[in-house]
Amino acid sequence: MNIENHGACARRIEADLTDSSSRPIVSFPAGGLADPATWGASKAEDATADSSKLSTSEMQLKDGSRVAVVGGGPAGSLFSYFLLRTLSMSGVHVTLDIFEPRLFTHSGPSGCNHCGGVVSESLVQILAMEGINLPAEVVQRGIDSYQMHMDVGQVQISTPLMEKRIAAVYRGNGPRNAPPRMGAGFDRHLLDMAVMVGANWRHQLVSGVEKSGDGWRIGCAGGEGGTYDLLVVASGINSALLPILDEAVIGYRPPTSLRTFIAEFHMGKSVIEANLGSSMHVFLLDIPGLQFAALIPKGEYVSLCMLGDRIDDRMIETFLGSPEVRECFPKGHVPQNVCHCLASINVGPAQRPYGDRFVFIGDSAVARLYKDGIGSAYRTAKAAAATCSLQGISASAFRAGYQPTCRSLTRDNAIGRFIFAVCHLIQKLRFSRRGVLRMVEKEQSIPGKHPRMSSILWDVFTGSAPYTSVLLRTLHPAFLVSLLWNLFVANLPGAASTSREVHPT
Amino acid sequence: MENTQGKGGKVSADEGGFHFRPYRPERSDKLPPCRAMCPSGTPVRDWIAEIAQGPHDPAGREGSYKKAWRLLVASNPFPATMGRICPHPCEAECNREDLEGAVAISALERYLGDRAIAEGWSLPIDEDIRYPESIGVIGAGPAGLSFAYQMRRRGYPVTVYERHPKAGGMLRFGVPDFRLPPAVLDAELKRIFDSGITLVAPVRVGVEISVLELQSLHRVLFLGFGAQAGRHLGIPGEAGDQVWTGVDFLELANSGAVPALGDQVVVIGGGNTAIDAARVARRNGAAVTLVYRRCREDMPAIPEEVDAAREEGVETLFLATPIELIRSDTGTLTGVRLQRLQVTGTDSGGRSEVRPGAGEIRTILASSLISAVSQESDWVGLEGLTKQRDEFIAGELKPADELICCSGGDLTGLDLASHAIGQGRASAEAVHARLRQLVETQGPTTAEPKVQADHYPGAGRLSLPSTPVAERLSDTAREESTTISEKEFLQEISRCLSCGLCNGCDLCWMYCGGNGFTRLESPRPGQYFAFSTDECSGCGKCIELCPTGYISEAR
Ligand SMILES: Cc1cc2nc3c(=O)[nH]c(=O)nc-3n(C[C@H](O)[C@H](O)[C@H](O)COP(=O)(O)OP(=O)(O)OC[C@H]3O[C@@H](n4cnc5c(N)ncnc54)[C@H](O)[C@@H]3O)c2cc1C
Ligand SMILES: Cc1cc2nc3c(=O)[nH]c(=O)nc-3n(C[C@H](O)[C@H](O)[C@H](O)COP(=O)(O)OP(=O)(O)OC[C@H]3O[C@@H](n4cnc5c(N)ncnc54)[C@H](O)[C@@H]3O)c2cc1C
Ligand code: SF4
Ligand code: SF4
Ligand code: SF4
Repeated sequence: MNIENHGACARRIEADLTDSSSRPIVSFPAGGLADPATWGASKAEDATADSSKLSTSEMQLKDGSRVAVVGGGPAGSLFSYFLLRTLSMSGVHVTLDIFEPRLFTHSGPSGCNHCGGVVSESLVQILAMEGINLPAEVVQRGIDSYQMHMDVGQVQISTPLMEKRIAAVYRGNGPRNAPPRMGAGFDRHLLDMAVMVGANWRHQLVSGVEKSGDGWRIGCAGGEGGTYDLLVVASGINSALLPILDEAVIGYRPPTSLRTFIAEFHMGKSVIEANLGSSMHVFLLDIPGLQFAALIPKGEYVSLCMLGDRIDDRMIETFLGSPEVRECFPKGHVPQNVCHCLASINVGPAQRPYGDRFVFIGDSAVARLYKDGIGSAYRTAKAAAATCSLQGISASAFRAGYQPTCRSLTRDNAIGRFIFAVCHLIQKLRFSRRGVLRMVEKEQSIPGKHPRMSSILWDVFTGSAPYTSVLLRTLHPAFLVSLLWNLFVANLPGAASTSREVHPT
Repeated sequence: MENTQGKGGKVSADEGGFHFRPYRPERSDKLPPCRAMCPSGTPVRDWIAEIAQGPHDPAGREGSYKKAWRLLVASNPFPATMGRICPHPCEAECNREDLEGAVAISALERYLGDRAIAEGWSLPIDEDIRYPESIGVIGAGPAGLSFAYQMRRRGYPVTVYERHPKAGGMLRFGVPDFRLPPAVLDAELKRIFDSGITLVAPVRVGVEISVLELQSLHRVLFLGFGAQAGRHLGIPGEAGDQVWTGVDFLELANSGAVPALGDQVVVIGGGNTAIDAARVARRNGAAVTLVYRRCREDMPAIPEEVDAAREEGVETLFLATPIELIRSDTGTLTGVRLQRLQVTGTDSGGRSEVRPGAGEIRTILASSLISAVSQESDWVGLEGLTKQRDEFIAGELKPADELICCSGGDLTGLDLASHAIGQGRASAEAVHARLRQLVETQGPTTAEPKVQADHYPGAGRLSLPSTPVAERLSDTAREESTTISEKEFLQEISRCLSCGLCNGCDLCWMYCGGNGFTRLESPRPGQYFAFSTDECSGCGKCIELCPTGYISEAR
């Protein structure tokens, strides 16, 4: 069985979930569901069919229209890039201002859009197909495997398929006090691309938005930001803007979010090489409230990412004090971290993220659960831009052209939540941890064997495939049989993991 | 690098775990470089903030102009004057410098000063406070008047004794009219006296009225009689016609009686007096040569003024000193013999050290000579006060039951007018504290703000309007520069970075993940948010983002 077949399955499921009267919300083209390269926005052609009757002529972008994009993170920059490119092809010239006060040149959290910086190789390729080539200093490729740590043992999993590598990026200019780097980080690079195709970057913070006649008045600290025909909010969820928008933007409710913990440790290249190698280290530990934790090596630094229900200093200290984690550091000493932040991550979609003359994209709308937020920013940005340029900027245009993308992300997340619940259960139950460990060990040690568990875990941890596809694979009979067998064998009296000897650290 | 930086947690096997160590943000008003550098201690940033952060609609703006002006005159009651003549050390270390040039502070000050004159704003005095101690001031120069105003504004009765018929000191008799029109100075002086200060003039203290008598009249005496006596060169031929000291010459010129100079004037000296004398002479049609014993960069004069003088055609001759004035048989001055000098090293103040270069002597033509080599105080009849001056300089104020005596301005060493104003104010603060037995208050923090200049939008420095050279020379009273327009004023005001004080940029509030900042119901310049660390995660973002440096790490 190959990935393409899963794609076909998924398409059926999507179709079933949709009301019988309407067409499938998302049509994943042949080429594979698991490959986000084909995740483009919902097909514009599909949507244009309804647009003529849905959008009025005033609710269109035309020559001289003014577009405000609030936030120059990946969502804002990609939206601007796509919109300006499409419009210029049809000869329409608009003024597009991106409001982004930060330059992304500071090191540390103040210049950064806080995240693990894990970008799937396929997203890098999609961006290249869109004409956005990320320079070498932005993308630090090199993670080729991950190592799973549990109290019952640890095991290393290589990339399930050769093309599935992970790229690591900095969202800002590296950790606090890092030596200044050449070139810009990921976010700044995208922003520069948007500027290159004609966006105006206004280094201003938006402090409020007001309805003004047919458009919007943008308020900035220390003065007015101007009036616009279309408002695009791409401010993520790590600023105080969304909660104050609900008065002006009727009906919109911000996404629900979860606090995370990110920290950077400076250890030096050689120490990292010796202790962590080029693996991403994932921890499935039974710490109450902890959903997921990983150590990601990046050059001179190691990033720690923790997701959980109530991350606080106690949980962080418990986690970093556990033997499984300390093992990853030289002589069991966790060094001083050079920076940290407690960023929020999107875990539940915003309500009504669009309407007449406004649309929310990226994290301020919806993102894939726990993973691949940048990929979600890309998808929502692309769908919104296509809608604005081809269908219009009315609520009905967005409903037809944009909502399907949001809905498919939301649905996939529902499944993701289920998968995480299962993972959580595995974390909780010692007997199941043993089973998973054994299954992966066997897969990894026998070349040529189909790595079912490995690829599922890989996709869960890296976000390389939609959760729907992950779920479908877990339902595959071969997988279930194999899992049950391993659960059984691993928990026979006297069975013990050999992994410590196999993979000494 | 390992384990030395950052504030994160640290772990060691013995302690048994990682300890989370957060950053601790703290907000505090810090001393901006403009204020630190201003000899009068003008709260430049604060008065600019009243307008920059005040209402943007023209209706509300008028109020913020007045508020700003009140803050300004509380330190410097001569804004229109100082905006013209002060070489603005406040701009020297302005944090805006690297971002298309320092804020043009003096041009701003001049605009606001002129506006106050045009609109007849009066100095704020608290009429309700009336202290009994009578204050006497000798000399109505900037030092004496600054002191007088500061005491008056605190509620004391003040009398100023001035030797000349009109007040103003060197601002009136030294600084030429083309740099400071008498009407501007008159208006600012009038406002000071209108605040309720008595002027007794002309009266020469020590000669026409004794110090003893003043002591019996006043509880406090301020010595502000400056340094008005020009030094002589002490070389052969100096006695006779066509030779003036710089201050004498300028005093004549400023009272409208420029003497006949002939066509070739030689000015000796490198300070403001020399340059001003040279520029006045140029405006009266003479060819002027300025002779200075050191090099261009050693000149104590304001550099911009030296440039202006050269633009106007003043010739300069460096590394030369006069050794004899040559006179004809009838005594008419014909030339000056100059000794060439050479640089031998650098003195402790960074200026060139010079000594005569052997055998090199030349003579230049001269129909008049102005020697502006230095000034000193005239102690005639005031000799008994030198001790008080020295004590005051040494930082001693007399105990409360004795006559309090303090001094400032040029009396304590030649300096800028701004310095004189600052000393007058500092003295008044000390005297007031002594008379009212106030505990010394904590001065403003001296912590330097760490500014994030790259946060601010680019905006080029205002180009200062100056009068073309030909017009300057043809009309002797013509001001060398003009006041900026209101539009330029507002544009330049907006360039200030508000170093060390919150400017309400909203960044901390917007990016704090811990709800540390709450908007104030009625914000005002400098105050926008309430702050609590209850939910602070210690990420330190606000510390690094705050463009003004108002937020910093708690010590
Ligand atoms: C712990 C953690 C780990 C993560 N790891 C990954 C990962 O490994 N891979 C991945 O793909 N995703 C990851 N994500 C998710 C990812 O960071 C986000 O989904 C992604 O950044 C969303 O992009 P965005 O453009 O919508 O918003 P953001 O990246 O948040 O950008 C919003 C921009 O808006 C600007 N802004 C905010 N308010 C205003 C205002 N008032 N005026 C003007 N501008 C404003 C901000 O400065 C910012 O630049 C992670 C998230 C977290 C919290
Ligand atoms: C030509 C010239 C140009 C200058 N240009 C500048 C400039 O561009 N910028 C700048 O910042 N500074 C400039 N200065 C310096 C500045 O003017 C002085 O530092 C400042 O005026 C000193 O103030 P003061 O109050 O100490 O003394 P003064 O200004 O000298 O005032 C002393 C006052 O005391 C009076 N007095 C003296 N003796 C008696 C007495 N016995 N009884 C009663 N009254 C008496 C005098 O008549 C005078 O009014 C210049 C100075 C000169 C001479
Ligand atoms: S930018 Fe403003 S506050 Fe800062 S030094 Fe210059 S004038 Fe002063
Ligand atoms: S930004 Fe907020 S959470 Fe971070 S250090 Fe400042 S106050 Fe604390
Ligand atoms: S970040 Fe901005 S709003 Fe916050 S304290 Fe600093 S200047 Fe004020």
